[in-house]
Amino acid sequence: MDLERAFTGIAAITRYSFRKLLFSRKAVITLLVAVFVAAVMGYAGAQNVDPLHDGTDMLDTLILFFFMPVMAMIYGASLIRDEIDDKSITHVATAPLDRSFSYVGYYIPLACAVAISMFIVNTAGFLAFFAQNDLGGETLEVYLEFTVLITIGAFVYSALFLAVGVLFKKPVFFGLFYAFIWEGFIGSLPGAIQKFSVKYYLRSVGADWVDYGRMSTFEEASDPLASGLVLLGLLVFFVVLGAFVFRETELT
Amino acid sequence: MMDGPQNAPTTVMEVTALSKWYGEVIGLNNFNLEIRSGITGIVGPNGAGKSTLFKLALGLIKPSTGTISVLGQTPWGNPRLHSSIGFCPDYESLPSESTGREYLSLVGGVHAMKGAALSERITEVARLVEMNRALDRKIGGYSKGMKQRMKIAGALLHDPDMLILDEPLSGTDPLVRKEIIDLIKRLNKENGHDVVVSSHVLFEIERMTHDVVLIYKGRAVATGDISEIRDLIDKHPHNIVIEGENIGALAKALLDEQFTVSVSYNDGRKGVTVQVSRPDDFFNRLPELIERSGASVTKMYSLDENLEAIFRYLVGR
Repeated sequence: MDLERAFTGIAAITRYSFRKLLFSRKAVITLLVAVFVAAVMGYAGAQNVDPLHDGTDMLDTLILFFFMPVMAMIYGASLIRDEIDDKSITHVATAPLDRSFSYVGYYIPLACAVAISMFIVNTAGFLAFFAQNDLGGETLEVYLEFTVLITIGAFVYSALFLAVGVLFKKPVFFGLFYAFIWEGFIGSLPGAIQKFSVKYYLRSVGADWVDYGRMSTFEEASDPLASGLVLLGLLVFFVVLGAFVFRETELT
Repeated sequence: MMDGPQNAPTTVMEVTALSKWYGEVIGLNNFNLEIRSGITGIVGPNGAGKSTLFKLALGLIKPSTGTISVLGQTPWGNPRLHSSIGFCPDYESLPSESTGREYLSLVGGVHAMKGAALSERITEVARLVEMNRALDRKIGGYSKGMKQRMKIAGALLHDPDMLILDEPLSGTDPLVRKEIIDLIKRLNKENGHDVVVSSHVLFEIERMTHDVVLIYKGRAVATGDISEIRDLIDKHPHNIVIEGENIGALAKALLDEQFTVSVSYNDGRKGVTVQVSRPDDFFNRLPELIERSGASVTKMYSLDENLEAIFRYLVGR
């Protein structure tokens, strides 16, 4: 009975947050990013390129490892924090639902919304580049592989940035540092230091799947199964951490 | 649902030596209180600690020291208690981009209500707060009064035993104010909800209940029935206005009495304001003083008869 009550509560928050994420002004950001990516990749695709290798590199660099964490940060770091700051969290905080369950009700729609947004961006970029060159079986394979990588990334980065949103009162500063400096810079350094980024494990998984571009020749990649487990572990860790902090936070 | 007003009052909230600090700022300071069933008014100026008390009662914040018990349970870390409490905050908490129905659906959902039962309850509560015609409009377009009603609807939706209403009349016009006061009284009388309602305007609370708690600077300065609170101030200076003919002679006679603290002429010198230390002695001696001075009193009233004056006195002592 209590479990049913918890599921009903989580479902209510999920439905509400999902609508809020996908049909709010933030949806415009997704469209702008999609247009930007399509323009950049469309221009690149019109040049004298090796379609499979260069196209894969663009999906890799521009979408998976730049816009992916940035979009997760934009959506995730503010989702709960904004509600705490504007006090609209009250209806959730005064519900007969453990706040750690409520947190899950925020996480699920966030991860789905980020995945859908990045799917739109990925599709726009893919079509803009490959439609000018080749849309054969191999390119579709690349598209599907990146769609899966983006979905995995959406769930992990969302867990991370949602937790950042409840850990910090000004999460955007930490979020910007993490998305640009840590993931963008530290995650690209050679040697063991890059293993402290989500990007490294996503690339390790991708190196096993993708046959083209720099990702296919990622020599420092870890075992793909172990990398997948690390990503799953990070996801669980961040969700549990965020849920615990949210439950213990005083809502003044 | 609790038995409401027809049965003997039970304790709905008990606070013992409760303190809450926000860093170096004191929210509540060694606060003691017992609230019984019915309507209880919490009165105090802005920053007195009313909202802090409510946040502690809802488990939104935890006490620094002391204990608080609501309906026999400790609020912090106890979300089950929220099944029995409906809360209407004093701040804007409604999502402006949603319709009233969407908001109430979310509130119902987090209280494990769903399907046709939830839809029916939304309609029922919206009718109760007279918001049924505005249910499908965006909350962003609501007036202040409509938003207050919608917050009360959200608090009522799961039919709680107890309602905590933080400044529900704030920012509303006199007509809406009267309607909300009537609604609160109806919720207690007809629906049996225990109501704890706060305001910084004393006469508003007086129109809802005679059980009041006066809070000032994080402390309960007075608790009980309004008449008991009035008894408290009878031991202290009272301000009485006397108007009529030959008031100057009466003022002179009053100055010779020990209970008179001061006498001052009002604008136009048609009357005087007398400050007395022992009101009972003043009223006993007054007929004789009027007769002796030859004054003719046409009007007399106390400046301390309303709650506002009592509050000013009590918090200022």
